[in-house]
Amino acid sequence: MPSSTHRPAAGDHFIDFELPDHNGNRRRLSELVGGDPAILQFYRGFWCPKDQASFRELVHLQDEVEVAYTRMISVSVDSPEVEAAFRAGIGGRWTFLSDESRGLQAQLGLLETTDTVHRPYVPTVFTLYPDLKIHTAYNGYWFWGRPTNAELAADLRAITRAIRSDWEVPPR
Amino acid sequence: MTKPWHWFAFRPERPADAFATAPAFRADGAQLGFLAAWSVGVGRKPVGALGIDARAIDPHGQPAWVSLALALERIRVPFDDPTICQAMRLVLAGSSVDVVSTLVRDPSTIGGTFRAVHAPTPDALVDDPFTRIFPRMLLRVERGFVGRMPCPTGPGVQRYAGAPWPWDHF
Repeated sequence: MPSSTHRPAAGDHFIDFELPDHNGNRRRLSELVGGDPAILQFYRGFWCPKDQASFRELVHLQDEVEVAYTRMISVSVDSPEVEAAFRAGIGGRWTFLSDESRGLQAQLGLLETTDTVHRPYVPTVFTLYPDLKIHTAYNGYWFWGRPTNAELAADLRAITRAIRSDWEVPPR
Repeated sequence: MTKPWHWFAFRPERPADAFATAPAFRADGAQLGFLAAWSVGVGRKPVGALGIDARAIDPHGQPAWVSLALALERIRVPFDDPTICQAMRLVLAGSSVDVVSTLVRDPSTIGGTFRAVHAPTPDALVDDPFTRIFPRMLLRVERGFVGRMPCPTGPGVQRYAGAPWPWDHF
């Protein structure tokens, strides 16, 4: 994947980046995704009402994801401490990653240039195969560009069907 | 690693055939027994041993505090019991520790939990969600037993092919 301004798109393989999580531990994307389908979400910050609305939906979705051999990862430019507080506040039980230095943001071309105060991520959601290939990319700059839980479920169904050899139950 | 789990037990005496053992003490310094681990597939399963995530055990590990919650022998609690799932959710939502593993009694039954920190005090273990379900011992364990593992990605609470949660691969 080009490293300057090409935003990751469907069919690309996501860069296997490493960032501190909400506890301050360094984590690599491939380790977090493991052998499962994954939702990778980049968000502006706790202060954004659109992000708050998106997270309320993701918190609902995690009750299904938790039994479905699927991972969820959220990334922002907030510090690990701020992310840990936000994660606890919304009731999230998945891993948050901190790109406080904005190095990954620059590499992915996901700086929201219209907010010169926070310089956040452009809200973007990716659904990933276990090998980090992107199934679908959702540009959430405008709220209605963000995926609904039903759309995420459809992506995760397609990925799971593709990677689980026993999707069709073997005949006896 | 051939299996994602080892056999684990708390014993009054140090077992001679375990690949990792360490004495375990109460906070007041009284020795309570030994933690022991055996490789799965090497010899017979030790009597009363429970499956533990292999990453929890390191024969070269540093001293640690361990929150060891063990189910009573006469009580059979399924992994899918809502109280167990809720305790797993609370673990995922809470602060990280260096080791967390459920203990597998048989394919469907939980035998307890093992949580640990490599820290001078056990403060991070005081609030252990599994202590609301099982009696627990808070143990100071000498070097040579407790490993270190990454926090689960979350939010999964299902086991992978019967391995101890949070092992996260088929």
